[in-house]
Amino acid sequence: MSTSVLQRIASGDSAAVRDCIDQYGPLVWSIARRLSRTPADAEDATQEIFLDIWRSAGRFDAAQGSDKVFIAMIARRRLIDRLRKSSAEPPMDPVEALETVVWADPGTASETSIEAEQATRALAELRPEQRQVLELGLLHGLSQSEIAARLSMPLGTVKSFMRRGLIRVREFMNVDAEGVLSEG
Amino acid sequence: MSDTRPQGQPDEAMVDLLIKQVTEGLSPAEQRALDVMDSEVASAYLRDLERAAAAVTLAGGTGGESLPAALSARIAQQAAEHFAHPSKVADLAAARNTATERARDRQSPAPGRANRFNYGWLAAAACLVLAIFGWERSPPPLPPVAAVPPAPVTVPPAEKPAPPTAAEERAALLAKTDSLKIPLGATKDPAAAGVTGDVVWDPVTQRGFLHFAGLGANDPTMHQYQIWIFDAGRDKRYPVDGGVFDVPANASEVVIPIRASLMVRKPAAFAVTLEKPGGVVVSGREHVLVLGATS
Repeated sequence: MSTSVLQRIASGDSAAVRDCIDQYGPLVWSIARRLSRTPADAEDATQEIFLDIWRSAGRFDAAQGSDKVFIAMIARRRLIDRLRKSSAEPPMDPVEALETVVWADPGTASETSIEAEQATRALAELRPEQRQVLELGLLHGLSQSEIAARLSMPLGTVKSFMRRGLIRVREFMNVDAEGVLSEG
Repeated sequence: MSDTRPQGQPDEAMVDLLIKQVTEGLSPAEQRALDVMDSEVASAYLRDLERAAAAVTLAGGTGGESLPAALSARIAQQAAEHFAHPSKVADLAAARNTATERARDRQSPAPGRANRFNYGWLAAAACLVLAIFGWERSPPPLPPVAAVPPAPVTVPPAEKPAPPTAAEERAALLAKTDSLKIPLGATKDPAAAGVTGDVVWDPVTQRGFLHFAGLGANDPTMHQYQIWIFDAGRDKRYPVDGGVFDVPANASEVVIPIRASLMVRKPAAFAVTLEKPGGVVVSGREHVLVLGATS
């Protein structure tokens, strides 16, 4: 199994930093664009995220997941923190962008990452309105109150959908992880 | 009533807080409430939820958009500086840590592997990256909304040149041959009576300015003006947000920088609406004040 780019950074591989930027720059940029108010915000956030990545590379544990999910976690943390600080204003993503989200196909999601495949399988079990709540909250950074307003849905229902959806994805990932461990 | 939850399982209140932390962040009060809960259970569950949220993010597609070259270069330069001066950057990062991050760091302590870095190669990499990319810096932030002064003002000599005003930047953009210049017209909305203006937009840099005369002062605690850009490449029901602005009292003219939230491929029209403070995601268009179309 090849060494992950984060492990290479942590071990002092001189080419790993550039490789990390090349390999995961589009991923970070994509998430930052979705969860930032302006392109300038997205640029600032992307720089901060990479600084977080350099600082956190030593904490990466390949047994806990892929590079990609680790980096997406770091990106999400930073972006949510920035959103929280920026006057409680949601990212200014027009609705048509929300409509362009196409969930990965379970058969091809594994090309993205094993975790994406697991999430896709879990999402496929949810009702469309439950998926929509997760989409608005996780992909577009809307708060639960904003989702409730946008979908004309009671806040309690939004909370319930978000909770069930995330827990379902978590269960899929943990069951798979246990399966892998028991096989190994 | 006895608690029948299995040991190590979070209760309802903790799950609600952790999900909120993962999806939109916690208020200080919510963070304090989480801090008094079982940190070991919270830490483990938070990590799982963060992984799940990240996986959903990946499943939602992460686009094929490349990292802009200039940004990539800045990140490489920043990395070189970080690894060449780790303590300095660590101090800076520590100073910028939020309460949430501090709580998270308490929950998942770093194993300290970073201290085992061999920084020799990194110093060399720093030199190489700087040689390749130079010392490119982020462009300066756009200046705030500026009222155009009614008469020339004598500015005392300064040691350093002052950053250009919005009016000066607009003038520079107007001088560019490839920028768009569009007159803005008032609508029939009573608040738009007597308003005249124009917009200049550079499609290459995605920068632009609105210039108005006669637009009334607003009370920012009640309403704010919001700019919209209609992109011919997008659904016209959902124009791109161009930012909110205020008009100060006694301002005869104002120049406002446009802060497009998304890339505008083919600007077809610009508009200004009056919205609640902070602006809105989708305008109800109850008060469209000015409009200007490119053709």
